[in-house]
Amino acid sequence: MYAQPVTNTKEARWQKILYERQPFPDNYVDRRFLEELRKNIYARKYQYWAVVFESSVVVQQLCSVCVFVVIWWYMDEGLLAPHWLFGTGLASSLIGYVLFDLIDGGEGRKKSRRTRWADLKSALVFITFTYGFSPVLKTLTESVSTDTIYAMSVFMLLGHLIFFDYGANAAIVSSTLSLNMAIFASVCLASRLPRSLHAFIMVTFAIQIFALWPMLQKKLKACTPRSYVGVTLLFAFSALGGLLSISAVGAILFALLLLSISCLCPFYLIRLQLFKENIHGPWDEAEIKEDLSRFLS
Amino acid sequence: MVLKAFFPTCCASADSGLLVGRWVPEQSSAVVLAVVHFPFIPIQVKELLAQVQQASRVGVAVLGTWCHRRQESEESLGHFLEGLSAIFSHEPWLQLCRERGSKFWSCKATHRQVPASPGAPGQDQVMLIFYDQRKVLLSQLHPPAALPDHQAGDATASAGGLAAVFDTVARSEVLFRSDQFDEGPVRLSHWQSEGVEASILVELAKQASGPICLLLACLLSLISAASTSRVFKLWPLSFIWSKLSTCEQLRHRLGQLTLIFSTQKAENPAQLMRKANMLVSVFLDVALGLALLSWLHGKDRIGQLADALVPVADHVAEELQHLLQWLMGAPAGLKMNRALDQVLGRFFLYHIHLWINIIALLTFHIYCFYVYGARLYCMKICGLSSLWRLFRGKKWNVLRQRVDSCSYDLDQLFIGTLLFTILVFLLPTTALYYLVFTLLRLLVVTVQGLIHLLVDLVNSLPLYSLGLRLCRPYRLAAGVKFRVLEHEAGRPLRLLMQINPLPYSRVVHTYRLPSCGCHPKHSWGSLCRKLFFGELIYPWRQRGDKQD
Repeated sequence: MYAQPVTNTKEARWQKILYERQPFPDNYVDRRFLEELRKNIYARKYQYWAVVFESSVVVQQLCSVCVFVVIWWYMDEGLLAPHWLFGTGLASSLIGYVLFDLIDGGEGRKKSRRTRWADLKSALVFITFTYGFSPVLKTLTESVSTDTIYAMSVFMLLGHLIFFDYGANAAIVSSTLSLNMAIFASVCLASRLPRSLHAFIMVTFAIQIFALWPMLQKKLKACTPRSYVGVTLLFAFSALGGLLSISAVGAILFALLLLSISCLCPFYLIRLQLFKENIHGPWDEAEIKEDLSRFLS
Repeated sequence: MVLKAFFPTCCASADSGLLVGRWVPEQSSAVVLAVVHFPFIPIQVKELLAQVQQASRVGVAVLGTWCHRRQESEESLGHFLEGLSAIFSHEPWLQLCRERGSKFWSCKATHRQVPASPGAPGQDQVMLIFYDQRKVLLSQLHPPAALPDHQAGDATASAGGLAAVFDTVARSEVLFRSDQFDEGPVRLSHWQSEGVEASILVELAKQASGPICLLLACLLSLISAASTSRVFKLWPLSFIWSKLSTCEQLRHRLGQLTLIFSTQKAENPAQLMRKANMLVSVFLDVALGLALLSWLHGKDRIGQLADALVPVADHVAEELQHLLQWLMGAPAGLKMNRALDQVLGRFFLYHIHLWINIIALLTFHIYCFYVYGARLYCMKICGLSSLWRLFRGKKWNVLRQRVDSCSYDLDQLFIGTLLFTILVFLLPTTALYYLVFTLLRLLVVTVQGLIHLLVDLVNSLPLYSLGLRLCRPYRLAAGVKFRVLEHEAGRPLRLLMQINPLPYSRVVHTYRLPSCGCHPKHSWGSLCRKLFFGELIYPWRQRGDKQD
């Protein structure tokens, strides 16, 4: 058994197989092994402006949170009349609703088979429940200290930003959890407002800005990218303006944050892409490319 | 091989004669039951033995001779006794001899056949064990928890051997039935009862017990037939029957009495003991009840008690009122929802007034509060748990019994989260009320449980067995111990067998009566789980029952 390979060692070449006995140790590889090494086969080349465009989703969401907090502050201070906010919100919602159907010519509505009656019903449910619960909301957190409420709201809004669906395909993304956290935060903040009408309008506004506005944004981004950029810029500037009216330092910091997210981060992403060194080879885990779901059931 | 001879102590002073008893070949032990005195006619002895054997189904035979030398001049008797082995052949032939005074005993066991090895004499070593015939006859050997004490070296009998000895003595009761005034054809010496005449009252009672039992059994069957009739099966009555503990107790006692007065004879000692235990338990129950009744009736104590109880009830209600007012404030600096707090507090306060006015029951309000609090809390916990799943975008899949992810509509999400927020902030308030009333309720339940335990104790304690154990320890035997009487070279080893009484714990364990209460056992873990999730802990009602 052992004597036979010794005679023709020179002729015997190493083969990467397990089904034949070879005159080599188990951990032996020869020079051809590294020939199959590949580098960075999945690395993507990014265009700077494309990345900046994609980062606008994050900017939008940051601005939404900022606008919400600013509006809440105005309401809490009594500078903003709830009727005015309600009217503005209603008007912008109607405009948005019309735009939502106009942008893609009603194709999305046909695809989802959602009737206008269902929309109306949803709207009625929102309004009724929020209005019905607003007195409860008013007294809900009376005994809890304001600091606790603020801390809770901050955590919830941060969670909203973390779990928001920015288009990435990751496990952490959960648009349901993100929306729920935002609503929780808005209910917490609304319970600090002076009257139950304020609370009602605050929660309605939260629905508009956290639930409805991202839907419109998504559609805008997909159909009319140019107008989306314009809307984003406008929204960012209005948020900055609102913040500026409360605190200049905060506005400057927020502007820096937005700038770094939309300009600096893409730049760094592209720079750091050069240092990327992923190696691939026959030692990789097996990857099933074919769709095997038909075997499963 | 050592041969064990069990010899009754009462025969130690008997005149010379024949040893009658049973030979247990497995244990190589001879159980001597009686001594037949001179003079006798061998045919009559054999007839008597045959009678006893027929009656008791014990292989009684003549085992050997007994020689009690009172005078010096009885040398001839020895030879005569040796000659008897030819008439009553037994293998081995036991020759027991007692010298003058009780000091010297000699014992021989001879094989008449030629022994296998010619060098050895046809004799075995004999170990003499004395036993108290009366005690062994009356005692009931229990399967031993531990083997008998090893006090005398190899002088131990295995449990099976002991059981055989006890069984032999107990079964040959026929032999002892003749008392000392009987004059039969054969004179016997063994343990004897005091005689029938000594206890005429007992005999009368024995004679009368049969008809009385029959009469009572008829009466009881009539009562039980009446109680099972259809009238009592109707809805409200049966419900009340099952709820009132007095009825439960009555039913339990009725069953016991039926068993006691059943005309069938008890088959074995255990059943007899059970009947006796039940009888004593019923008597004690009646006696305690009568004592309580007389105590209550004497000097108008009922009135006093009622006078005392009403202020206690009022006091409990007052204390509850204070507690509620405290809860409605800011108890222990807890963060509570003021509006809900006020609502709950007023609700419960209203109930106090209601209950004081209608029925001055002692703790009924606490029970009601507990139920309300628990229901509210349970609803909250259930709602919160399902809303928390919604909050995370999951839902409970009923078909697969697991949590699945689910895409909710926007309005569902919104309402769910709104409710979730509200419930989260209201939870501490409800939880506090629930906690306080649960603690009160647990206190009441504990007191009730203690009373139940007491009743159960009276019901299930085997008083007769315990009394027997206290006054006649030998009646319940756990095993035996041996005491060395004489241990000298060249003389047979003499031991005294004494009965080890059964420990009290085993008496209680063995003869415990089944009690009527069938409380489902709850582990502490499940109790805590129930408390946490706000399920009602008492009265224990299964969820399945409610759905039916």
